[in-house]
Amino acid sequence: FRLNIEGLLVYFPYDYIYPEQYSYMLELKRTLDAKVCYNPFIKLISSCMQYAYPLEVTKLVYCSRTVPEIEKVVEELRKLMDYYAKQTGVKNDFLALALSSRKNLCIHPEVSSLRFGKEVDGKCHSLTASYIRAQHHSNPSQPVCQFFEEFDAVGRQVPIPPGIYNLDDLKDFGRRKGWCPYFLARYAILHANIVVYSYHYLLDPKIADLVSKELAKKSVVVFDEAHNIDNVCIDSMSVNITRRTLDRCQTNVETLQNTISRIKETDAAKLREEYRRLVEGLKEANVARETDIYLSNPVLPDEILQEAVPGSIRTAEHFVGFIKRFLEYLKARLRIHHVVQESAPQFLKDIYEKVCIDRKPLRFCAERLRSLLRTLEIADIADFSAITLISHFATLVSTYSKGFTIIIEPFEDRTPTIANPVLHFSCMDPSIAIKPVFGRFQSVIITSGTLSPLDIYPRILDFRPVTMASFTMTLARTCLCPLIVGRGNDQVAMTSKFETREDFAVIRNYGNLLLEMSAIVPDGIVAFFTSYIYMENIVASWYEQGILENIQRNKLIFIETQDAAETSMALEKYQEACENGRGAILLSVARGKVSEGIDFVHHFGRAVIMFGVPYVYTQSRILKARLEYLRDQFQIRENDFLTFDAMRHAAQCVGRAIRGKTDYGLMIFADKRYARADKRGKLPRWIQEHLTDGSLNLTIDETVQLSKHFLRQMAQPFRREDQLGLSLLTLEQLQSEDMLQKIAQIAQQA
Amino acid sequence: MDEEPERAKRWEGGYERTWEVLKEDESGSLKATVEDILFQAKRKRVFESHGQVRLGMMRHLFVIIDSSRSMEDHDLKPNRLTSTLKLMEYFVEEYFDQNPISQIGIITTKNKRAEKLTDLAGNPKKHIAALKKAVDSTCVGEPSLYNSLNLAMQTLKHMPAHTSKEILVVFSSLTTCDPANIYELIKTLNGLKIRVSVIGLSAEVRVCTILTRETGGSYNVILDESHFKELLILHVKPPPASSSSECSLIRMGFPQHAIASMSDQDAKPSFSMSHLDSAGEPELTLGGYYCPQCRAKYTELPVECKVCGLTLVSAPHLARSFHHLFPLEAFQETPLEEYEAERFCEACQGELKDKSVFTCLACKKVFCVECDLFIHDTLHCCPGCMQTDRMS
Repeated sequence: FRLNIEGLLVYFPYDYIYPEQYSYMLELKRTLDAKVCYNPFIKLISSCMQYAYPLEVTKLVYCSRTVPEIEKVVEELRKLMDYYAKQTGVKNDFLALALSSRKNLCIHPEVSSLRFGKEVDGKCHSLTASYIRAQHHSNPSQPVCQFFEEFDAVGRQVPIPPGIYNLDDLKDFGRRKGWCPYFLARYAILHANIVVYSYHYLLDPKIADLVSKELAKKSVVVFDEAHNIDNVCIDSMSVNITRRTLDRCQTNVETLQNTISRIKETDAAKLREEYRRLVEGLKEANVARETDIYLSNPVLPDEILQEAVPGSIRTAEHFVGFIKRFLEYLKARLRIHHVVQESAPQFLKDIYEKVCIDRKPLRFCAERLRSLLRTLEIADIADFSAITLISHFATLVSTYSKGFTIIIEPFEDRTPTIANPVLHFSCMDPSIAIKPVFGRFQSVIITSGTLSPLDIYPRILDFRPVTMASFTMTLARTCLCPLIVGRGNDQVAMTSKFETREDFAVIRNYGNLLLEMSAIVPDGIVAFFTSYIYMENIVASWYEQGILENIQRNKLIFIETQDAAETSMALEKYQEACENGRGAILLSVARGKVSEGIDFVHHFGRAVIMFGVPYVYTQSRILKARLEYLRDQFQIRENDFLTFDAMRHAAQCVGRAIRGKTDYGLMIFADKRYARADKRGKLPRWIQEHLTDGSLNLTIDETVQLSKHFLRQMAQPFRREDQLGLSLLTLEQLQSEDMLQKIAQIAQQA
Repeated sequence: MDEEPERAKRWEGGYERTWEVLKEDESGSLKATVEDILFQAKRKRVFESHGQVRLGMMRHLFVIIDSSRSMEDHDLKPNRLTSTLKLMEYFVEEYFDQNPISQIGIITTKNKRAEKLTDLAGNPKKHIAALKKAVDSTCVGEPSLYNSLNLAMQTLKHMPAHTSKEILVVFSSLTTCDPANIYELIKTLNGLKIRVSVIGLSAEVRVCTILTRETGGSYNVILDESHFKELLILHVKPPPASSSSECSLIRMGFPQHAIASMSDQDAKPSFSMSHLDSAGEPELTLGGYYCPQCRAKYTELPVECKVCGLTLVSAPHLARSFHHLFPLEAFQETPLEEYEAERFCEACQGELKDKSVFTCLACKKVFCVECDLFIHDTLHCCPGCMQTDRMS
């Protein structure tokens, strides 16, 4: 139906609407001129909302996290468009598409059969690079990708017909036309109205530069599932260098050297041409940035653009020599026996003293290497990932004096006898990566089901939100049941606290809890542990005590491991067991793959048990450095941040169980520390609301009683009519006076 | 204590929070809603039977009773098994009372196997006796939904197409141990038009949801014992026949009951034909029902004649199921505030206190909720109308 939100006509493709959705739209409408920070339960609605603005906002960039989520958004969009077309009767030229990696989009028969994303990228590049294609002209036996050729020849002139394209649609379209879907999509995002892709395409400077830099300034950017956005930002700016990296880099340098000397004999003019270009400097890029065509790249700082590449690395040989020196220096640094932590300026000073490398040429390293690789016509870029990494490191370390730290560890903490030196160049300030995004786009919306507490996000990402609001869920029945279990039946406190985590009684009580729950919860149970090691210890101990055997009489047990293939196999079998009535338990790890990207709807997750509080590994030096930085720069206390981080992950795990209003599930927090106000207060509002005093610090028996009662209540027939008027509204109900008042209370301005 | 040595002592049983049942919810959302939903469901039962639908009057029903380990749970008193069997006895009686020309059979499942307790038969006594015996059986292992459904299906698939074929599962466990893919079986059941309904004793299990949805049955989970009873009673009423089931005229015989006493010199004791395939000792009896076609003797009705295949029923039986075909029309519901005349229920003479009153459309008499339910469930005729009929 059609809604009128403060003078704005919104087309809504369903017959019923949740009150929170309406409230969300209201908030969105009021503040859609700048940055917004939101905490909704229903997120897709923002894309619906956007559509009401086909004129004011030229483009919507919707970033989500996983491929299934991207596909879900596009399907939702398709429904909206169908509805819109039916309502207005106007066939509009509207283009929306999803973009993913080559691995998900490739239709080349050989390339697409490769298993790993990196292999696909490398192979694709070796078939589509410009000089390969040039060689193909003279030498037809040189293989090229016919899909790319076809696209390059015809595809650019003919715009892709308007419509909604999901990943599969793009592939189909590509096959029909014989065009490469990946390059088609990348080209088409420039004039598409809605782009849906992973947020690495926008935040990771290395990729963003290729894909997203030409996005129009008037775009609206939405980050969905953004509770982890600071970690994504940090990861994208951090570099880890091991001895292996350096070894591979060494071979890269040798290859470079050989290629240079060969080219010098055959085609010296080419190198001269490059030299001339470098003297002129990167003026072109600078012009482009000034005229606002490109999204700025945080790796490539502004000053570089105004200067010419310094003379010392202008010729190819000098540059290779320079890299070699740098490499030797890094090797020497890794040959240490104690942990070193230093800031970027300290590092630069040391490098200047030891091998006389100046700051300035270092800063041009990344740009210079790219230019060289282009000139040398090296086919397989994937082989050069090591040297590219080193060059990025060089540029970053010489550009940013603040917000980064260098930590060199000679061995891992767990295996102090095995030398495995790592150089962590760690970013501590997520705002560096996201700054260009905030700076460039008209509106940025950050939204997730578990952004809590809200006020910490603006602080760590360093922006001033225009509006922040969190929404509750209005429910016709209380379909979630959070319980905090603090003690076993023997009254021993249950906690994963470091001092007591090896305690026999605690492990046994955890086992009993799982055993009891497996007897009363139907179908699927998902249990989360704080880490892989902890899980291994506990499961081994359960096995010895015979608890595992007892559990297996009720349900099958599956375990998440660090191996992705193994885990997806376990997941598949887990779902099968839930489906056919055998019942299953999935043991997994908070912060693991399962906790982040996989939904356990309905019977796949009737209960989630969180064993312990998922704190990060606090002994890590990187974390310590980051905490220190947060304290000094943003006045965030270490403990606050750690708790915040643990609770968002706990909420994330527990939230896997409830994916809609007809769904229901138990949420069991098995640690007495959850009952404390500082932990409880950091849970999302929609969970906190249902956490009454009666559900704190329970014993296992009490938990079982409450759960049984809850499960029976929830199994009663629940029809749409029961929801109507309470949590599901028709248009008439929406417009009634008291409902509008209720809705006004849903959004809580933070 | 000697008479119940097996049963756990009260203090050994589960930790109960009896006050929870009586708890009044301040927030009012959960409890009130669920109760409201239950009330609506109660009303729905009355409504549903009033459409002009064809009903499957001849029912063949298999009841599958889970006797796995989970039946030993004490949340129904004294334990789930005893409580279930007791309610089943009541159910069987009610069932034959309301569906005199139908048959029932009982299957139990435990230890991954299914076992037939009684075959399809129309005699309540036999079933009740079997149920009484089953109380002493132990509950072990896991149930097998597949095996028990398969067992029921083997018998039901030979039943004529005009009868209503049903399975009712009382399922206590949360798991099932199946030898093959149960979804294939569900497809077959669907193809054979066998309707499967499930009453869950603990929580909603996915496979049961699918099973009932695919075969057109209902799925309910009990809240407590009285709710359990209510759910069972829902299955007493004949379900609407699926439109595709064929209509046919059925030949029926109405045998006379010949009474003979020992003092009668002419009477000769004889065997009943129904003993032919039963395992029990054949008994010589005097008198019985004689098939009007072939004079075969039976001691009980309804039955299908073993000799000539005629369906034998008694006329009163058939008449009893009559009311299903011509049900009493639903009364009109009006809120109490809008009702302005004297606030007395026509039937029980009590004051009308509930939030709505019910008016008979024919005689315009007013009834309370309880009487409305009683009239529609038990009496099947409006007392007000009867009175006016007599007056005129």
